[in-house]
This record gives sequence, C-alpha cells and structure tokens, in this order.
Amino acid sequence: MLNPARCLILACGNTLRGDDGVGPWLCAWAEERFASDPNVRTLSRQQWTPELAAEIAEVESVLFIDCSVESAAGIVRMTPVEPIAAGPGLATHHIGASELLALGQELYNSLPRHALLLTVGADSTELSETFSEAVTAALPEACRVLESTILQFLTGPEAPAPDQRA
Amino acid sequence: MTQTITIDPVTRLEGHGKITIQLNGQGEVEDAHFHVTQVRGFERFSQGRPFYEMPSLMARICGICPVSHLIASAKACEAIMAVRIPHTAAQLRRMLNLAQMVQSHALSFFYLSSPDLLLGMDSDPAMRHIFGVVGAKPELGRAGIALRRFGQHIIELLGNKRIHPGWVVPGGVTEPLAAAKRDEILAMLPEAYAGIKLALIAYKQIADTFKPEIEVFANFPSLYMGLVNEDDSVEFTDGALRLIDAQGNVVEDGITANRFTEVIGEAVEPYSYTKFAYYKPLGYPEGSYRVGPLARLNIAKTMGTPLADVELAEFKQLAVGPVQGSFHYHHARLVDILYGIEKIEQILTDPLILDKHVRAVAGVNRLEGAGQAEAPRGTLHHHYKVDENGLITWANLVIATGQNNNAMNKGVLQAAKHYVKDGKFTEGMLNRVEAVVRTFDPCLSCSTHAFGQMPLAVSLLSADGEVMDRVIRS
Repeated sequence: MLNPARCLILACGNTLRGDDGVGPWLCAWAEERFASDPNVRTLSRQQWTPELAAEIAEVESVLFIDCSVESAAGIVRMTPVEPIAAGPGLATHHIGASELLALGQELYNSLPRHALLLTVGADSTELSETFSEAVTAALPEACRVLESTILQFLTGPEAPAPDQRA
Repeated sequence: MTQTITIDPVTRLEGHGKITIQLNGQGEVEDAHFHVTQVRGFERFSQGRPFYEMPSLMARICGICPVSHLIASAKACEAIMAVRIPHTAAQLRRMLNLAQMVQSHALSFFYLSSPDLLLGMDSDPAMRHIFGVVGAKPELGRAGIALRRFGQHIIELLGNKRIHPGWVVPGGVTEPLAAAKRDEILAMLPEAYAGIKLALIAYKQIADTFKPEIEVFANFPSLYMGLVNEDDSVEFTDGALRLIDAQGNVVEDGITANRFTEVIGEAVEPYSYTKFAYYKPLGYPEGSYRVGPLARLNIAKTMGTPLADVELAEFKQLAVGPVQGSFHYHHARLVDILYGIEKIEQILTDPLILDKHVRAVAGVNRLEGAGQAEAPRGTLHHHYKVDENGLITWANLVIATGQNNNAMNKGVLQAAKHYVKDGKFTEGMLNRVEAVVRTFDPCLSCSTHAFGQMPLAVSLLSADGEVMDRVIRS
C-alpha cells in the first residue's frame, strides 16, 4: 500500500502439498534476490483472491508463479496472461491469473503492460514439505528464468519473450 | 409417500454444509435441517499440549476468523496464568479483532451475499459472484475490495501475517506497535470510511425490495447474546456477555467467561457435527438464542462511536424492541464495519498505543481458565483445564455458528415451508433457502476450503430413492 513497486511477483501454492509449494519457494527466492530493489514486490498466497486485483492494478508488470499439473514434471514454462472475465460458477475464495487481470481492468481501468505466468510442472501435490526430484532439479532453471524476466521487466519497454523453457 | 430435497453443498458459505427438506405425501414441507458435515476434533487432539501453544493451535480452526480464536484462547490461557495484560496490549488486540471483523464482514457482504442483494435472488446463478457484482455496481466492487484489504492489511501490519498471525500470545502480544505502522493505518482510514458509507447507502436503497424475504428469512422471536461494556456499548474483545429476550428485557447480565457454563449448555442432534447452544434455565431447544451482528445491535444501547451511533438509532427503527428478522443481519454487519473503522481510529489516538510494555509473563497459577470474545459471526468461548505442568487435559469451544445453529435450522424450515409448494422448487427457491443460512454468515470449517468448483445438486427423491426432480448448479 506504500511505495507501489513497478513490478509484482505473485505466487500461489501450499508449502505442505509437495510440488504445489514451488510457487512460494520461488517467491521467497525472488524476495531475497531483489531485496534491495524497491521496484520489485513479492506476494505469496495459498489462493489468489479477488482483492489481489487491486495490487495488480498498481504495477507496470506482473509475474504470476504457480505449479502446473498440465506440464510434464519439472518443465519450466513461461506463458503470457490475457484478461478473461470470469465465466459461470466462479469460486469466491480463489480466482485465476486471467480473471485477476480482468477484475483489475474492470474495477480500476488498469492493466499491467506485461503479465506473464511462470509455471513448473508438478509431479506430486500430495502431503509433503519437500519437492519431487523433477521439481528439485528444475529449481535452478526456474530461478534463472524468473530473474531474467524481472530484469527485463525493469529495464526494457518490451515484454520478455514467453515460453522460455529449460 | 415422503420425499426429501437435499441441497449439498450449500454454496457461498465459509465451509461446507448441506440442507435437507423433507416433504410429506402431499408435497408439503414437514421438516428441514441444516447439516454441518465435517468433523474437526480440535478439542480432542489439543489434549496433552502445553497451554501456551493453544492460541496458535486454535487459530488453525479458521482461515477467516483466526484472530477471534487467538484472542479467546489467549484470554483462557491468561485465566490459567492469573494475569491481567497491559493496557496497550489490550488495545492492540482490540484493534486486531476489529480489523478481522471488517475484512470478514466485507467478505460476507460483498463477495458472498451481495450477488443476491444486487443482482437478485432469481438472477442467473452462473453470474452470482463478485464479477457479476462488479459488472452491475463497480463502485461497490471497489468498496468491498478496499474494505477487505483494509482489514487484512492491518492484520498483516500488526501480526506480520494476513492469516494465522502469531502475534497474540498468552499475556499480551509479542511486539509493540511502531509509529510508522500506526501512520500507515491512519492513512488507510479515509478510503475505508468512503467504502462503508457507500455500502450503507446502497443497502438501504435496495432493502425494501426484499420485503417478502425479510418476512420469511429466519424471522421469529428469540433470545440474543453478545458482549457489552459497562456503559451498554458494543464490545468485541473484553466486557461481559448480556442475554436479552425477544422483548428486549435483560435475562442475564455480566456473564464473564468463567460463568459461561453456568448459563449456557450445549445439545447435540444426530444430523450435524455442530453443537446447539442454549440458555440453561429455559432448556433445549426453548433456550436457543442468536449471536452475531443482529444480536449485538439488539443488545447494545450505544455503539460508542459517533457515526455508528447514528446508524444504530436508524437500525432500531426497524422494529419495536429487538429486530427479529435475520435478513437484517446484512444491515447490522455494515453497521459493525462502520463501528470497527471508527473504533480503530479511536484506538490509534490512544496516547499509550505505542507503549513498549505489551506482555505480562506468568506460569500456571490455576488449573482451569476460560476466555471469550466476539468473532465476526458472534460470541466465541474457549475453556481449558490443565495439569500442574500446564498440559491441556480438557478443552471445550463454543463457537458462534453453534450458538446460531437452532435459529439457522428454524430459518431454513420457515423459508422452505414458504417457498416449496407441491413438492416442486425452482433454482430461485433453492437460492433463497441457502440465502437464509448466508444471512448468519456461518463459519463451518474455514480452514478446510476445497480447491476447485463447488457443484450444487438439489434432488427431490421419493421414499424409494427415485429422483422426482433435480436442479444442478455447477
């Protein structure tokens, strides 16, 4: 709420559910990596909720981070996020990245110039406080992609290229 | 031939429950129940834990109102320690509890109930969510989000976490308030005031269009209970409980936490894991009562803050004596929010609010202790017994939803009898029966929210299990 940053890193996941915790892990890594940069703000949540639209509306760039159950285990993927209004049956307590962008646009007439989603393919989201071998092996690459994306957010007008892979 | 309608799960609640409506051979409603279908076990598995762990353990009961559990639990621990916490710690806890109330009420009103209120009970069920509200009334969508952020951010500033902060401990709080944080909260107040004023105006403009629902949404006489101060003003964190009857007469007053079980008992029903609280002298179910925003406003003679006092006076014009219709919980919730914002502002101007002395320290001085506070949904009571080493040997929690349980069930029956005709029902009828429960904003099991969609299927079954009618919401 004070000193709005230019770039928001918004992670989602539960650190008690195995690979689902990779989002919070990467967010914590980014918080330390960019600790001295007031232009970077990190937020990690177990679920994304509607009020996060207000946070997104305040920044130039947003990087969503989540695990993916659709990608192969350990695959690091970067995809652009477009605003998509919610369809039928939207849940009240959690919404997705596209819906958050749409909500921010609708409510605050604001859309970040850059919006990307960084995912790491999950192997297991069963109860566990450790990552699978595949996700553990993918962490260095995920950190590299995360770092380069944020640096591009901060230094250039052009959006970082999507779909960077390990 | 009897038939049963099942609404499972009931949507837009904190947690998961279901409703069954039993019809007779003529298709008329004979009975109806609101079931809480989860079992949690906190009272059992806390046994053997050191008492000073209880606030953190008990806060995990709920992801929406953990602060209330923290505070009630810490107060029960302080009864065991036989300490009185420093003034500044009490004020900081009060602010934390009010911040939680504001964010929780904002969630209930704007996210869960405003789709019904703004879009209509018969509107397209697929669009009855926050996007639908934003599309129809964007300014109210912004107000709801602002109020929820306001409460959550105060919790994060004070407790360093939005959910399950560990800042409240037996004896007080772990660290004092920094001046920079105080100033940050003060800077958020104008937007919070603007949001709640907008919501109050909007609600009053539409309330009259719901007269039919007001008549049958758990609208009946009952007892009411809530915390008040000695000056008859609303209280959320300290004070003592007062119980009034349906005419507004004080039945019991000055119910401190250690007297609670003298006055209040708990019954069980075979169809729900949630207990049913009642006033002992009247027995069960005659002694059932309501808690929460409606009860608080019925009991208090003043809110103790200027703007909320104006709203309270207007609220009390809704009826001669206590306001009985549970639909008015929505209105009372908004008055609560206004009070919370004003009270937070008052607390921040306390000359001792930055004082560094915020924690009292002691060991086990009593083998039993109880604490109580107002959660957003109503009174919350924690009661513990420990051994000489301070290990928990017994725990009992009386939560607001249990205290409203009988009223919710009666309300579901009242609405079902009104809306279900000849064994048939529409989606709008189904939504109204659910909406009765939503007025109470019950917190069934907030810490076990499921990921994914919550499909709703309502089936009308014959006695032999044949599906007679079916409505599905996905």
